[in-house]
Amino acid sequence: MGTVITFDVYNESGVAPEAFLPYLQEAVAVLHHADKVFSTWKANSPLSQLRRGEISLGEAPPEVAEVLELCMVAKASSNGWFDPWALPGGVDPTGYVKGWAAQCALAELVNARVTGAIINAAGDIASFGDLGSEAPFRVGITDPAAPPTLACAIELRGAVATSGAYERGEHLVDPFTGEARTRAASASVTGPDLGICDAWATALAVGGGEVLELIEKTDNYEALMIGVDGSRQWTSSFPFAQLETPH
Amino acid sequence: MAGLVGVLSFHSMPAKLTLGTATSPTSNGASGAGSTSTTTSAAPATTSTTAGPQSRSKGSSPTTTATSGPPATTTPPVTTTTVLPSTTTTTSSVAQTITGPSVNYYFGLLAVKVTVVAKKITSVGIASLSDGGNYRSQQIDQASIPILEQEAMQAQNANIQSVSGASYTSAGFQLSLQDALKKVGLK
Repeated sequence: MGTVITFDVYNESGVAPEAFLPYLQEAVAVLHHADKVFSTWKANSPLSQLRRGEISLGEAPPEVAEVLELCMVAKASSNGWFDPWALPGGVDPTGYVKGWAAQCALAELVNARVTGAIINAAGDIASFGDLGSEAPFRVGITDPAAPPTLACAIELRGAVATSGAYERGEHLVDPFTGEARTRAASASVTGPDLGICDAWATALAVGGGEVLELIEKTDNYEALMIGVDGSRQWTSSFPFAQLETPH
Repeated sequence: MAGLVGVLSFHSMPAKLTLGTATSPTSNGASGAGSTSTTTSAAPATTSTTAGPQSRSKGSSPTTTATSGPPATTTPPVTTTTVLPSTTTTTSSVAQTITGPSVNYYFGLLAVKVTVVAKKITSVGIASLSDGGNYRSQQIDQASIPILEQEAMQAQNANIQSVSGASYTSAGFQLSLQDALKKVGLK
């Protein structure tokens, strides 16, 4: 399996591409390090060893405990709809790690002094800055009924994560019943931190309307849920943008 | 198989290039307008960087029942054709190609291929994925990576910079990428 990461860097400030490369290298290193530590596809990653009980949390790299702590917060905030401990095979924070790692990688690019940057890790997006002249990033959200066409566009300041039944290779499990089921075809959450968005999007895809209400009450995070029947529900400040074609 | 594949697009605002200012394909250090593209097939390093979670408070915002129904935006059909956008609208549409330095990573060599076109992505360059230490450099036309091209065209047609969702599936992109690499003999 491979995770595709794209970096889009916007450079109104005139940074030369060569000057940017060292920052890119650092960002890529962060991603690879996270993959090395957390990949459940790697038999000897610290997380895999932890899951098999071969090492204790104290013996694992400190970022494992850090991520699991963040997962505890997300589980509590989502009333248990995001629950990495409810998955078969032992604790699996993968749904949080993808966003967390991308957010960490993005932090490496901030000092490059570009106008803005977007990291897209298989559909989970972290960003800082903008297009320049204060024009915000615009991000499309895939229509789950007809990919790759778009359901809508949003103005992005920060991060957006999308979870859904149509994702390849992901099994979203209802943590209360243990069944693989989703209540939304697609669940997108925007906010400042991609790891948190990731957790909320997972919770929303599984928990549906109840989770949407929780997000409505959560400062700085907004959500859009698209049902299998195409119906849409969203929190009151979800940052819709016009889906337009340039002339 | 290897874990991560990355693509960088570096969008620069066009500098005041005059027509006819073209640099040779191997020059470095050209400034100004550009898109940089590269793929990485890289390995872990020892950077430890942490980013704490944003503090998030549960405010007392009113419990608004989420409404259902179509969003209040117009959604004109998004084309997924592969016609490249016209580049005749800008005066600085000169293409420059710069090959950057190679960097050693654990699993292979990365080299940066910079394709400079004013403001828009017209090609995704993949250069120098080493095979047993052989340094080879070749630009792969975006047209040979269908999914990436489709994404880019869609993004440009809808005036968006990225897409959240599963259309950009890992499996699809990997297959496209490997196919493209095979075609030019890099895999």
